[in-house]
Amino acid sequence: MSELMKASDYKSGLKPIWCPGCGDYGFLNALTKTFEELQLKTEDVAVCSGIGCSSRTPGYVKAYSFNGIHGRVLPFASGVKMARPDATVIAVGGDGDGFSIGAGHIGHAARKNINITYLVLDNNIYGLTKGQASPTTPLGVKTKTTFYGNMGTTLNPVRMLIAYNASFVARTFTGNPKHTQQMIKEAIQHPGFSFVEILSPCVTFRGQDQFKLIREKVTYLDESYDCSDEVKAFEVANNNDRMALGVIFKQFRPTYDEIIMENVIKKAQALSNGTVHIDTLLEQFKP
Amino acid sequence: MLNNKNIVIGIAGSGGDGVISAGEILVNAASSEGLYVFMLKSFGPQIRGGESSVRVRMSDLPVQTQGDKIDILVVLSWSNFLRFKSELILEEKVIIVSETDDPMADEDIPLTEEQREFWYKIPFAKLSEDLTGAKLAKNIVMLGAVSELFSLPKDALQKSIQKKFKHKEQSVIDTNIGALKAGANYVIENVKKVDPLHFEYEPKEPRLVMQGNEAVALGAMYAGLDFYAGYPITPSTEIMEWISKYLPQKGGVSMQMEDELASINAIMGASFAGKKAMTATSGPGISLMNEGLGLASMAELPLVVVNVQRGGPSTGLPTKTEQSDLMQSIWGSHGDSPRVVIAPSDVEDCFDCTVLAFYIAEKYQMPVIILSDQFIGHRKESISPESIATNKHGFRLTYNRDVPSPEELENYERYKITETGVSPMSYLGIKGGEYLGSGIEHSENGWPNSNVEMHAAMTEKRWKKFDYIKEEFRFERFYGPEDAKLGVIAWGSTKGAVKEAVKKANDMGIPVGAMIPQLIFPFLIDPFKEFIRHKSRVIIPELSYAGQFRRYLRGFLRFGQYGCKVTPFRKTGGAPFMVSEILDKIKEEWAKMETEQ
Repeated sequence: MSELMKASDYKSGLKPIWCPGCGDYGFLNALTKTFEELQLKTEDVAVCSGIGCSSRTPGYVKAYSFNGIHGRVLPFASGVKMARPDATVIAVGGDGDGFSIGAGHIGHAARKNINITYLVLDNNIYGLTKGQASPTTPLGVKTKTTFYGNMGTTLNPVRMLIAYNASFVARTFTGNPKHTQQMIKEAIQHPGFSFVEILSPCVTFRGQDQFKLIREKVTYLDESYDCSDEVKAFEVANNNDRMALGVIFKQFRPTYDEIIMENVIKKAQALSNGTVHIDTLLEQFKP
Repeated sequence: MLNNKNIVIGIAGSGGDGVISAGEILVNAASSEGLYVFMLKSFGPQIRGGESSVRVRMSDLPVQTQGDKIDILVVLSWSNFLRFKSELILEEKVIIVSETDDPMADEDIPLTEEQREFWYKIPFAKLSEDLTGAKLAKNIVMLGAVSELFSLPKDALQKSIQKKFKHKEQSVIDTNIGALKAGANYVIENVKKVDPLHFEYEPKEPRLVMQGNEAVALGAMYAGLDFYAGYPITPSTEIMEWISKYLPQKGGVSMQMEDELASINAIMGASFAGKKAMTATSGPGISLMNEGLGLASMAELPLVVVNVQRGGPSTGLPTKTEQSDLMQSIWGSHGDSPRVVIAPSDVEDCFDCTVLAFYIAEKYQMPVIILSDQFIGHRKESISPESIATNKHGFRLTYNRDVPSPEELENYERYKITETGVSPMSYLGIKGGEYLGSGIEHSENGWPNSNVEMHAAMTEKRWKKFDYIKEEFRFERFYGPEDAKLGVIAWGSTKGAVKEAVKKANDMGIPVGAMIPQLIFPFLIDPFKEFIRHKSRVIIPELSYAGQFRRYLRGFLRFGQYGCKVTPFRKTGGAPFMVSEILDKIKEEWAKMETEQ
């Protein structure tokens, strides 16, 4: 019998490039603790990302990790998942990677219900490029590219994901590592596309008081909350003054790999008896 | 010039006239008799209706092109024919078969006196209506009449119709066979044959009929494709349509993505997870995929990407052909990102190139672009069944990528620098093979590393693979005498016209040789040097206004050093080369050389 895996066994040993005090450290610990809790096999886990501070995560975990192109983590992760439906596939990235350059992919991964977990570390800023506005930077905030203050309404990721029909939408805060771990675990366990907005303060470009400000602003959904009610979920999402943490919306419907297996591959194999030989394929080209 | 063993039939009409369907029945009938067949379709921009035309060349002997001029023109509607006037160029002694009941007055039809000499008018629509109560079968009536007039294989046509309607009720089959006979009978009873054309051939073993895009898809299946992701774009879409039907039959996955960015990233994900993966697109899609292709070079992911070129830039000419994505395909990405580019030159070659592409991609762990075009992708050719089913080229082997040995897994280094540049590649599921794959420059173990020495060493590692790819196969085709002083270098779909023109020139006593490379990039210099060593003049025909191929060749070859002059021959507009265009250029250059001597 093999020994139990510990959280530290899921760390690659590579030292993060993150600034001291970055919220992403808490996330990394929560992620590896979740892996420990679920006793995942490192060879059956894929952790994928695009570009950004949080997109460096794959390098820090021991798994089949991939750090690809800015904004393209969801199609990449979808390819991994559909190639190996039995694997645990995690996509990780930031608010710029996900909601700006990569926003076009979210709706499709969500509507197809591809059974991957998408963790967005939202710090309301571009950190890796050192402090430019992101889609979730609050209105009026001065950044390096918004000298006169950030213009354009701030994007609400949770509301967007519910509208996109994501089957699991949650929010958490790295200032509460236990809650972060709980949300990651539920997201991984959810059969279908699961999304967690992880509030992860950037102390360098958004200020040292970010942890404090967010802590004051958040509230936790209690047991009386019914996360299957889409109307209520929108109400919760729309409340920008009190940011609710917890599973905000959840529904169960067939995952994309299940649909492909049941409605495509089984039907196709019934036509071909499961084997396809070149001679059989050539039949259709005979005049 | 009339040749009873090699005819080109053009059929034009409105979208509802059944022109394409008639062309396909004719092609299948000819192929079942073992004839060499070549078919091009052309449509107006309308999604439904509008005008359409088809050109069918059938011959007792091998053919390489669609044939320059039309021997037999069949017109179901003259107003629709006029839209294809520049595509369907008529022989001076063309034979015309047209619908009697056409609203256009004879004098308004732009034909020369000579072209009006053999002109049969047949009431296709009325014959169909008399027989079936509707005009729908007029295309079949037409086939009956044409086959009777020119001695086309009538029994084969009947079989071809039976096959086409085999899933319909018997009454539908009977009606169509009746229409075929009605057309033939009308000719027997009412038409006096005045032209000299009687098609002659020796029946042979049936040949397969395939489109270039289908041949790519079939090649991918043969090579062991597991995963396909794509986004529809003309003229590549048939590849995805075919694969989405057949790949699941062997348990593979075909995904339609939201755009080309997603397509290339999805296949990279699947490749990372250990699967043989492919996508297909056209020029604009390749532009969107270029960032992904850079990642595939960097992360050393095996990928096959098909580019079925169309006229560009931008939306350009989606249903017409051009060879103007050459530079984009070779150099389109950012950074020094090696990828292999191979170019099929006909339908059969589409199959070969695809099998080869998977072999190279999986063995050398890099992206391979198959640079096809609309001219090959959309045309139908008859090909010998043996050419697909047998292992004639030696490289028709599948390659399963090298995975790390148990010893190598002890302290696994995904990007270990090796002599060939290829390092064992583990994938999801292999215990001990976990690694970080990335687009950021990395050390041998995959961890980010931006040291000057490391980037230099890793760049070299990635490019070094080319030395071995170049050694592995011979990719060039040569036609005509080796020692000819006049040469032609062309690539891709231009091969057909070049091959026929060179043969014609040789038959006329002009010594000219041609070279067609299949491997475009990396550039294999020696065969080119060897070829131009004997030449004092080389024509470079290509469907690119900018002369991309000539510029590309000039980057590697100092033609002047060999006393070899280069004659650019650029064509644009969306139509492929005609044999006569190449032949005229050969004659022109040959005349110049004779004066020079």
